[in-house]
Amino acid sequence: MMHYVIIGNGVAGIEAAMTIRERHDPDHARITVISKETDFFFSRTALMYAYMDMMNREDLEPFERGAYEKQKIELVRDTVTDLNAETKTLTLEAAGQMHFDKLLLAVGASPRRVPFKGLDKVKEGVVNFVSMQDLDECERLTPSTQQAVVVGGGLIGIELVESLAFHGVKTTFLVREDHYWPVALSAPEADTVAEHIRHHDVDLRLSEELDEILVDDNGRVRAVKTNLGNEIPCQMLGICIGVVANTRWLTDSTTPPEVERSICVDRSFKTSLPDVWAAGDCVQIDVGAERPLVETIWYSAKRHGRLAAASMLGDHVDYKPPLFFNSSKFFEIEYTTVGDVIRVPQGTKALWRTLPSDPHVSQRITFLPEDNDRVIGFNMLGSRWNHRILEKWIRERRSLDYVKKNLAKAQFDVEFGRTKLQQMKEEEVAA
Amino acid sequence: MKQQGTLGALKHDITHRGVTAWLLFGALLAFYFILYFPDKFGEGAIVFGASDDTIKSMKAFGDKLNVFEHFMRWLGGALGYEVKKWWDPVWNKWTLYGTLYTGAIVGGGAYMISKYKHNSYQVVRTIAIMCTQIIFGYSLPILLGANGYKDYYFSYFWPLKIEYLYPENLSSMPLFLVLYGVLGALIFVPIMAAFFGKRWYCSWICGCGGLANTFGEPWRHLSNKSEAAWKFEKYSIHSMIIMALLTTGLVASSSFVGDASPGLQKTATVVKFLYGVFGVALLSGAVGVAFYPIGGTRVWCRYFCPMAGILGLVQKFGRYRITVKKDMCISCGMCSKYCEMGIDVRAYAQRNQSFVRASCVGCGLCAEVCPRGVLRLENRSDADPQELTMSSLLSESYKNEPNRKAV
Repeated sequence: MMHYVIIGNGVAGIEAAMTIRERHDPDHARITVISKETDFFFSRTALMYAYMDMMNREDLEPFERGAYEKQKIELVRDTVTDLNAETKTLTLEAAGQMHFDKLLLAVGASPRRVPFKGLDKVKEGVVNFVSMQDLDECERLTPSTQQAVVVGGGLIGIELVESLAFHGVKTTFLVREDHYWPVALSAPEADTVAEHIRHHDVDLRLSEELDEILVDDNGRVRAVKTNLGNEIPCQMLGICIGVVANTRWLTDSTTPPEVERSICVDRSFKTSLPDVWAAGDCVQIDVGAERPLVETIWYSAKRHGRLAAASMLGDHVDYKPPLFFNSSKFFEIEYTTVGDVIRVPQGTKALWRTLPSDPHVSQRITFLPEDNDRVIGFNMLGSRWNHRILEKWIRERRSLDYVKKNLAKAQFDVEFGRTKLQQMKEEEVAA
Repeated sequence: MKQQGTLGALKHDITHRGVTAWLLFGALLAFYFILYFPDKFGEGAIVFGASDDTIKSMKAFGDKLNVFEHFMRWLGGALGYEVKKWWDPVWNKWTLYGTLYTGAIVGGGAYMISKYKHNSYQVVRTIAIMCTQIIFGYSLPILLGANGYKDYYFSYFWPLKIEYLYPENLSSMPLFLVLYGVLGALIFVPIMAAFFGKRWYCSWICGCGGLANTFGEPWRHLSNKSEAAWKFEKYSIHSMIIMALLTTGLVASSSFVGDASPGLQKTATVVKFLYGVFGVALLSGAVGVAFYPIGGTRVWCRYFCPMAGILGLVQKFGRYRITVKKDMCISCGMCSKYCEMGIDVRAYAQRNQSFVRASCVGCGLCAEVCPRGVLRLENRSDADPQELTMSSLLSESYKNEPNRKAV
C-alpha cells in the first residue's frame, strides 16, 4: 500500500488529499495530512467573517468533520522538523518518525516580517491576519484597543481594516503607494475604493510608510511614527505586507530540496527530491520563462493541489497557468478582474465606463488598437460578472465592439438588480 | 468575536443561543400554547367521546387558560360599547395574534429592507411579503369578519391551510372561493413552482416564510447544516406530506360516505383533530416560531410544511436553480452559514456545481452574503443534476472502482 503524506492542511493540501482519494481506495492508498496550525482544514479567506461575528470557528471548515473519517484521510496535528528523502522519513516533533512513499509539501506561506525600528521592543500588539493563531490574537487584543494602524495596501490589509472598523476601532490604514492596490487597480478605480474606505471612518493615508514602532512600559504598542514624521497613537498594529514561503525548516533539513525564494518545482510540481512534490503558496514554478511563476491566491492553491495530486498518481502534468482571474470585495464594493488590465503592452488603450447614478460602479476594458481592438482584460467594480464569459471573449480574441454589444450577457447581478449598462458613460483612455 | 459593550454582548447572546435566546424561546412557546391550546381541551374531549362531565370540566379548564381571548373582550369593553359592538365579530384573540404577527412582519421587513437596500431582489421580495401580509393576511380577513362573512386568507392554500379543501368547508363557501381554493392549490401554485421554483410562494407570499424572513432574520444562521439534519428532514417532510394527504382523503371520503359508515366518520374526526393539534397548532405555530432563537427560522418550513414539501418535489424537476460561477468560490462558507434551510451551499459552490435542492425556498441570502458573487438564483430550462448525499459531493468514486491500484 502506498502511503501518501501531505504536509499542510490548507486548500492545496486538502485538495490534493481529496483528489488522491477520489481515485484510490483506502486499501491501496493511505493518506496522512499533517498540520500544526489547526485540527481541521479551514478557509483562510473567511477569517475576517469570524472576526466580525458573522461566523463561528467551526463554520470556517469547508467539510463536515466526519468527512475525513469517511474519506479515510488521517489528520495529524504536529510539526514536521526534518525531511530525509533518501530514507523517505519525516521527523515529527511529537510523533517521532513517519515513513512516506510519496510526499507533498503544501506548507504555505507566512506574513512577511521587516525589521521595523522598534519591533524588537514589542511584546504585545503587533498582529498579522493569515493564520488561525492570528485571529485568536486579534480577538484577544480588540477589547483593549481603541485605535489601530494597519500597514500594507493589499487585500489582507483591507480585510483587517474592515474587521477593526466593524468593532468600532479607530483605524489608520497606511499605504506606501500613491494609490490603493496599484498592482490591480488603475488610479480612478483606486480613488473610488479609497473614498469608500474613508466613508467607513477609516483614516486611509496614501504615500505614507511605517517608520518606527513605539511601545509603553509593558511592551505593548502605543503608537507608530511614519516617514512623514506623524505619530499615530494605536494599541494594535497590523502588518499585512505580503507573505513569504515557509521554507526555513526545509533548508535546515537532512535533504533540503532546491529552494530559492520558494520551493522550486517543475511544471509537474516535482521538487528536486525524488518522490517529493510541492504545491500552493510555497512554490515557484519553472515555466521556462525568465522568472519563475509564483501564485499566492486561493484559486491557484486549489489548482496546484489538484494537479500535484494527479502528478503524484502518475499522470502527465504540464502546468500552464490559465488566464488570470481574481475577485475581491472592498467593504461593500465587489470586484472581478480577468486578463491583463494593469501590466499591459505598450499602446494598449482602455474603455473606461462609469455610472453617473452610482459612483461605485465602473468597468475598465483594456484592448489593443493595433490588433483590431482585441480585448485583453476587464476590471469590474461594483457589480457582478460571470468571469467565465469574459474569459471566453479574451480567448476568442473578440474585438471591443463585440464585447460592448454583448456585455449584458456576462452580467451576474441579482434578479431585479441588473446594473443599467445603457446608462453608463464611456470614454477611451490610455492604459 | 462578539461586538463590544453591553448591547453587543446582548445582540450576540440572543442570536447565538445564549441565555436570552432560551428565555425568548420559552416565552414564545408559552405564548403559542396559550394561544392555540385552550380550545383543544373541550374539542378533544368531544372527539374522543368523553363523558359529559369530562367535556364540561375540560372546556372550563380551556376557558380559564384562554387569557388572550379574555383580554381582547376586556379591551373591547374598556374601549366602549360602541367600538366593541362595531367590531364584535373580530374582537377575539385571533385579531390580537394577527396584529402582533403583521406588526412583526412590517417591523422586521423594514429592518430587512434597510439591511439589504443595495440588493433589489431582497427589497422587492420583502415588499411583496409585507403587502401580502397587510392585505391578504390581515386587513381582508378582518373586514370580511366585521361584515359578517366567514374569514378567508387568499394568501394561503391547501395543504398549508388543510381545511380549505375539506368538503364540509367547501360546501359553505361561495363558488368563486371554491374555485379559487381548489384550482389555486392543485394547479396554479404547482405550475408557478415549476417555472419559478417554490420561492414565488415560500419567500414572496407565504406568511410563515414571511415572518421567518423579516422578524426572524437575526436567527437565520442557526439552522442545522449537518448531514444528519438533512436525513431527518427527508423523513419528516415526506411523512408530513403523506399525513396531510391521508387526513384530507379521510375527511373527504367520510363526508361523501356520510352516515353510511359511522366508523369512518369517527376515524376521520379523530385524525382531523390530531392533525389540527400536532400538524397545525404544535408544529406550524408553537415549534415553527418558538424555535427561531434556538433552531433558526424555517424549522416548520424545512422539516414539516406539507405544502413546501410538495412544491419542493415540483421544484426539483422545474426550471429554478442556483447557478454557481465556475472556480470562483473561496469556500468561506457564508452561504451555508446564512442558509435558513440548512443547505450546505458551499459544498456545491466549491465543487463548481450548479444545483437545485427541494428544500431551497429561494430567499436569495446565499447570493447576497457571498463575498465573491459566485451564486445566482435563476430560472432556466436546461437541468443540472442534484447530488443525493453529502458524501457523493465529496466524490467517493473510489468505491465504484475498488480494485484500482495505486501507482
